[in-house]
Amino acid sequence: MLSEITSDRGELEAVLERVFARSQADETEALLYVSDAALTRFTHNSIHENVSELNRNLSVRAVVGKRTGVASTDKLDADGIAGVVERATKIAKLSPEDENFPGLPSAAAAGAPHDPPHPYDEVTARLGADARAAAVAEIAHVMNRHELNAAGYVSSRSDAIAVGNSLGTRRYFRSTDSALNIKAIGQTSSGYAEGFARSFAGLRFAELAERAAKKAVDSANPRSLEPGKYTVILEPPAFHEFVGYLSWIGFGAQPLEEGSSFMAGRLGEKIVGENVTIRDDYAHPKGDGVPFDFEGVARQPVTLIERGVAKDVVYDSYYAAKLKHANTGHALPAPNSEGPLPLNIVIEPGAKSVDELIAETKNGVLVTRSWYIRLVDQKKTLITGMTRDGLFAIKDGKVGRGLKNMRFNESILDALSRCELAKDLARSDSHVLPAAKIEGFHFTSGTEF
Amino acid sequence: MKFESEAQRALDTSVSRGADYADVRFGLMRDEHIEIRNGVVSGMSDTESAGFSVRAFYDGAWGFASSAVVSDAEVDRVSALAVDIAKASAQVKGNQRITLLPAGKHVGAYRTPAEIDPAAVSLGDRVKYLIDVEAEVRKARGVTVGRAWLDVWRTFKSFASTEGSLIDQELLQCGSAVHALAVGDGDAQDRIFPGTCGLYQTGGYEIINKADLLSSARRIGDEAVALLSAPQSPSGTMDIVLSGDQVSLQIHESIGHALELDRVLGWEANFSGTSFATLDKCGNFRYGSDIVTVVCDMTCPKALATHGYDDEGTPARCVDLIRDGTLVGYMAGRDTASVANVPVGGCVRSEYWGRLPMIRIGNVNLLPGTTPESELFDGIKNGLYMESNRSWSIDDKRLNFQFGCQIGYEIKDGKKGRLVKNPTYAGMTPKFWNSCDAIGDDRSWVAWGTPNCGKGEPLQTARSCQGASPARFRGVEVGVGYAQ
Repeated sequence: MLSEITSDRGELEAVLERVFARSQADETEALLYVSDAALTRFTHNSIHENVSELNRNLSVRAVVGKRTGVASTDKLDADGIAGVVERATKIAKLSPEDENFPGLPSAAAAGAPHDPPHPYDEVTARLGADARAAAVAEIAHVMNRHELNAAGYVSSRSDAIAVGNSLGTRRYFRSTDSALNIKAIGQTSSGYAEGFARSFAGLRFAELAERAAKKAVDSANPRSLEPGKYTVILEPPAFHEFVGYLSWIGFGAQPLEEGSSFMAGRLGEKIVGENVTIRDDYAHPKGDGVPFDFEGVARQPVTLIERGVAKDVVYDSYYAAKLKHANTGHALPAPNSEGPLPLNIVIEPGAKSVDELIAETKNGVLVTRSWYIRLVDQKKTLITGMTRDGLFAIKDGKVGRGLKNMRFNESILDALSRCELAKDLARSDSHVLPAAKIEGFHFTSGTEF
Repeated sequence: MKFESEAQRALDTSVSRGADYADVRFGLMRDEHIEIRNGVVSGMSDTESAGFSVRAFYDGAWGFASSAVVSDAEVDRVSALAVDIAKASAQVKGNQRITLLPAGKHVGAYRTPAEIDPAAVSLGDRVKYLIDVEAEVRKARGVTVGRAWLDVWRTFKSFASTEGSLIDQELLQCGSAVHALAVGDGDAQDRIFPGTCGLYQTGGYEIINKADLLSSARRIGDEAVALLSAPQSPSGTMDIVLSGDQVSLQIHESIGHALELDRVLGWEANFSGTSFATLDKCGNFRYGSDIVTVVCDMTCPKALATHGYDDEGTPARCVDLIRDGTLVGYMAGRDTASVANVPVGGCVRSEYWGRLPMIRIGNVNLLPGTTPESELFDGIKNGLYMESNRSWSIDDKRLNFQFGCQIGYEIKDGKKGRLVKNPTYAGMTPKFWNSCDAIGDDRSWVAWGTPNCGKGEPLQTARSCQGASPARFRGVEVGVGYAQ
């Protein structure tokens, strides 16, 4: 049975036109999204949560002079549109002027976005619960064979976004995505594997289940590790979580302007190792990017750190005008007190395989995944967090026995000054990055498992 | 009951498609947010959403579906889909069979008590207030960023089940905060008031008035600037006193999440984690010292999670979690309670109408002690006082934790000493709570709200409360993260 909620381009754009026709504001922006998301979650090799969520939201930004107001709704009939426009305009009229507000981006200023490769897969968009259950059954089969219990999820989704403004900017994009997350659990240990793909057919359930199972089996009966500094190899899920904070605390124009960014006053300086290049690239073939931002401006690839040197941060229309920099197309939805952010981080690979990095390690630790990373000191990029789901000793170039999980306290930038990157890129959530070998990684305490 | 005919249609469809049990929730939400940043409005929004969801139980398995459109056709589609999903779930049953404790039939209504309807305070007055507050922060010389914000959240929800429950609720939650950021040479220091993220409670605009941001705005600006030149907090092992809001976060992370029964049973294992507080420990495990008693009280006045019924129709109630230091209970839902043979807690909630209800930290309150706040430093020769969180991390069984606070003061011979920056402390949960030897009395107890707790997949945000007083802990590791 088909829903009344549609992601059809014509219908979404018609909603935007009705908003612009209704609004009496000086300028008006409309942002409409529709998401159809399903996620099948399992534990003890059994499905215990299984959801399908069909949602939509229309957000309207009204501009009156240098004043703005935002209101949103999921009611898209005439009353709903009239109401949301009225509320946004009322807020704008009551809002104090912001002399730095540059106006909404015109069609010319918004540029011409280019779609990333193969963003939409019809099969994934229409995937049913039976297909996800079959995938879980495949995982459970692997786990039963290894006498393990698994927890995790299999998900699929389709999304459509339409954004435009009364100055003529019009954008529409639809995409699909799917993901697989497996934690294999034994009596004394656990292992983890994950997969992401625009197309559900791109997920390899049995292969990833075997990988997670092997980690759980191989790390059984873990021993304790003394706190101290170690050579570590962070696999992509762990490395993703480790570097993830950089985007929030330093790669946007707002913290750069305010001085709290680690990039502030250091553009052009070497801040990490020469082998590290970090970009924001919505179009990377492994990624899940959208070709324009939430103001409809075409996203530009931005090199944030190039061969160790701080190069640039990302901008939206507000900070581009305020700081006299080109708009890179990284606005978040209004209202936004965080400023522009990069959402599609890509870390350039190195030259060696993970196996080679391991083979070159005399004494070290292999980290599968990390957990609950939090910022301890923003300017120092000092973070703390835990390892989880597969911590292993590396001895004389070989992965050895399992270790009990450890807490680390480490500066991200310092660690990136002592790292070597692997050559194979993987997607971990919205990041595309390799594994990383880091010298002198500081484990400060351990836990009981 | 509002939506009664639509609800009956959903339940009838679910049963006709084979559901053994079903419930349906209709929701209307209205969130108003205003934020001032360095003199300009950085966020001013009015968000409304409406929709419904159906949860169906079939042959020991769950299915859930939701939609933002309420119409007969969509009610039929979503109800049928929920049952189909439950049937798909039933295809993969491992070694843990789910049953449901009966919730009983509840017909009723609940409305958050409020003294001042937020609608009585104009948007213009709210904006002017926040502009005044934020301007006060930046009167402190050296403040780089001043921020002030407030939120008004209204939620209407209608619940019906195949067991005959028909429940309407109108919840009202309000909160506000002020923030100062000072940036110096290689350093950035934050201060927020009140508490870690503001004062968020159930009630009307009186909650925002009570926070009285204006009275403390200048002080926190001064403190943020002073922290830039303050000495680094010491490292080592020492006695500490935590402010009530920091105790609140400590409860949230090391008691609240640890005693969510879905975690204990492994239902959150792949993401939020499990818990060291396993079922075999219930009734015999020394979680804390004798003075540590913790309850989950969903009826607590003003507390942020207080409601009349949870999102599976269980009436609000108070459940003992830790009694005189001993683990005695969990927060449980109808399915997890059945698996573990414990009582339900009335704390199963979802972020909004479109999300699956799950066990969420409710009002997990540390009952007040007997020590006047002014006497908590007594007996400490060389210690540390820490206030308001800025960093929190704990392992996925809720044992090894490390927290950082915004501001610290040395304690010397029972007296408050000099200001120190970047204070941190760390430990293992049971050892830490067993080191608690004084808890502030009821005069210092506050129902601190946490508006942004994350859990579940798809990720859901929940609003919780951890009522707490300031408290004293002996022999705690401090300075972790900065020590070499």
